Amino acid sequence: MRNRLAAFTAVAALGLAVGAAQAADLVLYTSQPNEDAQATVDGFKAANPGVDVQWVRDGTPQIMAKLNAEIAAGNPAADVLLIADTVTLERMKQAGQLMAYKSPEAANFDATLYDADGYYYSTKLITTGIMYNTQASMKPQSWKDLAKPEAKGLVTMPSPLASGAALIHAQTLASVPGLGWDFYRLLKANGAIAAGGNGAVLKSVASGEKAYGVVVDYMPIREKAKGAPIEFVFPEEGVSAVTEPAAILASTKHVEAAKKFIDYVLSDKGQEGFLKLGYIPARNGMGVPAGFPSRDKIKLLPIQAPEALKNSGSDVKTFSDIFASKG
Amino acid sequence: MKRFRSSANGQPGWLFPFVIAAIMVLSVLPLGRLAATGIVSAFSGGGRGVLTDPGLWQPVYNTVATSFFGMIAAVLLGGGFALLLTLFDIRHKRLLGFLFMLPTMIPPQVTALSWISMMGPSSTVLKAIGMAPPLGSPQPLYSISGIAFLFGVQNAALVFLSLRAGLLALPRDAVEAARLAGASSFQVLKDIILPLSLPGFAAGAAIAFVSCVGNFGIPAILGIPASIYTLPTLIYAKFAAFDAGTFADISVLSALIGILSVLGLLVESRVLRGRDYRVIGLSGQIAVFRLGRWRVCAEVLLWLTIIVILVLPLTALVASSLAPAYGVPLTPASATLHAYQEILFRQAVTQTAFVNSIGLSMTTAIGLLLVSVLMGYFLVRGGSRYAGLISALADIPYALPGVVLAVAFILLFAAPLPVVGISIYGTIWIILLAYLSSFLAVSLKPVTSAFRQVDSSLEEAARLAGAGFFRRMTDIMVPLVAPAAGASVILVFLIACNELTVSALLWSAGTQTLGVAIYNLDDSGSFNLASALSVLVVIMVIAMMLLLEAMAKRLPKGVVPWHS
Repeated sequence: MRNRLAAFTAVAALGLAVGAAQAADLVLYTSQPNEDAQATVDGFKAANPGVDVQWVRDGTPQIMAKLNAEIAAGNPAADVLLIADTVTLERMKQAGQLMAYKSPEAANFDATLYDADGYYYSTKLITTGIMYNTQASMKPQSWKDLAKPEAKGLVTMPSPLASGAALIHAQTLASVPGLGWDFYRLLKANGAIAAGGNGAVLKSVASGEKAYGVVVDYMPIREKAKGAPIEFVFPEEGVSAVTEPAAILASTKHVEAAKKFIDYVLSDKGQEGFLKLGYIPARNGMGVPAGFPSRDKIKLLPIQAPEALKNSGSDVKTFSDIFASKG
Repeated sequence: MKRFRSSANGQPGWLFPFVIAAIMVLSVLPLGRLAATGIVSAFSGGGRGVLTDPGLWQPVYNTVATSFFGMIAAVLLGGGFALLLTLFDIRHKRLLGFLFMLPTMIPPQVTALSWISMMGPSSTVLKAIGMAPPLGSPQPLYSISGIAFLFGVQNAALVFLSLRAGLLALPRDAVEAARLAGASSFQVLKDIILPLSLPGFAAGAAIAFVSCVGNFGIPAILGIPASIYTLPTLIYAKFAAFDAGTFADISVLSALIGILSVLGLLVESRVLRGRDYRVIGLSGQIAVFRLGRWRVCAEVLLWLTIIVILVLPLTALVASSLAPAYGVPLTPASATLHAYQEILFRQAVTQTAFVNSIGLSMTTAIGLLLVSVLMGYFLVRGGSRYAGLISALADIPYALPGVVLAVAFILLFAAPLPVVGISIYGTIWIILLAYLSSFLAVSLKPVTSAFRQVDSSLEEAARLAGAGFFRRMTDIMVPLVAPAAGASVILVFLIACNELTVSALLWSAGTQTLGVAIYNLDDSGSFNLASALSVLVVIMVIAMMLLLEAMAKRLPKGVVPWHS
């Protein structure tokens, strides 16, 4: 009898312990890599003691799918989002899934970097350029170099199915005269592959499986500093950019903590933290991380936001059709 | 009437309803819900879109091809080991058997990660000996044959166990008679032992095939980067691009996996049809054959295999966990423990994952212990005519691939529960329920076989002396089945801790398991963190297996799988 009681108690206690792990004051869904997400959360917790934060990381498309599945099941877990691009958040705003909040920190940001109604705020600038393995024969300077014979079979890029930045990048290049979807067809003909997220590209080029990769700036610049045999270039035509915005979900049950999170990522301290991790902060008057050219030297390619929003689905399909999987 | 019969039998009236309720929740409801959605969407044409999509048949082909060749590799590896270790005078059999079991117990995504670190241009091991392939060489494992080969390594132990059980049950007198009649060792092997061990080969091959069809970890890590999808990874990808038709699509795909698994088992029974393998006479360990001067060769071969399939990949895994960044050559100067510091002391997600996995596995193991002691008692002693049906229903969820089971639970629990109106989808409880369902068979088997060994007269005597049900359970039955129950707890714990497939579809914020954490770390490009966490998991697995090994002597035969 005593054994049975002990067993029941153990089960009940474990059940409670497991159940307690669920209760957090704030749940963040983010597309930042694990180490960066943890650093962001640690910084927020240091600035707001006593707020318990739980976070989930995945590529932007996957995390949105997870969120949509949860919304469909009537049980969205997330309170705040920190994901790759504003286009996705603009769509959520229009679907009424976001909560507006006018953060006092917005005064320190360029008006193009946040939603005028307060539904989302850009936190940093992440550009997509070219990385190469230092053993590679060519030092690419232009996007078109990736379609040259020297790069045949040696180019990898992230898939818009797995990365929000990759979708914006494809949509940006597709509207650049002289590049366009034809450029992607040339890449495909040159044996380029598109699979996984930016992490997979980093791994593949750093390991030497591929020589050239289309990738977000901070990953190779940071890994190079740790000794990885790679370089990053900002191609001469310019780079695409996403701004990793933050937003509050309309279904949040933790409004105050969520507002504090938005304020934190926009604050001096929060932006300082992103700088230290190797990101270009969005706030006015901040520097750039080591290894980056100054902000005015970086040439940004324009993106047509309304078209990007309208055509996301068909653009993903165009891209997938070009790089259609083969056995 | 039932109540009367039950009490005459000395069982409390609630036992039968309890067993029925457990089997309903853990097996009948989720599988029924999956079947219903599949059938509805097949008839309403919702599934037609999936089935006519040309993009579907490539994954089906990939699944069949990788599983078939994986099965061949598993049969060659596992069969060779079983024959050599069981029939010949090889030294250190116990140790070799234990080491050969390890790749099966290590989570598949860890196996895949460790092989990636061993092969390809980035290999720290190959770089150290200056044999790394040149820049731009594709990772050879990102291919159908790479996936099939690792399937073979992962599942070889299943063939090994099945064949070994068959070999140990061979009729001793047939072998001795042949020997007395002057047959050479080779003739005995060719004409008696190999034909009689065919059922063991076939069963092992079938289990290996089914296990390959449902494997998620290996094709997820090796196949997705090269756009090679198998059915389980296709379900995962569909789920990761969730839209309105997703539930219908994945239920149809799950059904396809189920059909492939059943086909594998049907082929096995076809191979054995028309042959009667019942043997008469004493079975038991037959005298081993002497290899003479070939023994050293055989031993070298066995140890080389262990080195290639176990030691080298794990060394490579440890090496990548110590490298400062991807692609940096590992030297004593560049080695760093940063990855371990990061995952152990900074990353909240790995701590959450450890707490979740260990909590879930313990709760599952202990919860299932309660269920399987009562259910096992009912099956053995209850005298119910439904016993056969119930034990079959308990087996099905374990035999099904984890992806299929996860989909079944999503379908069942996506909507809020009736009456209470809360949804357990996205909480830890849905993972717990899926684990309870999936591992019920693992827990039930040892307990049932232990109950069968207990003489019923003991309990009868206690009952005549006036002891109630609980008294008899706690004082007589439970102590007698305790060793087997203890082993079942460790087995369930071990398997649940390593699980990825079920939780990959069911996890949410705060409910990540170790398997999910490793997969996600690798996906975000933190290969060294993923490797470091994998190393810790491998250490945990080895510790648990050593614990079982230490308990093996006190357990009924067959409870510790790699013991005879």
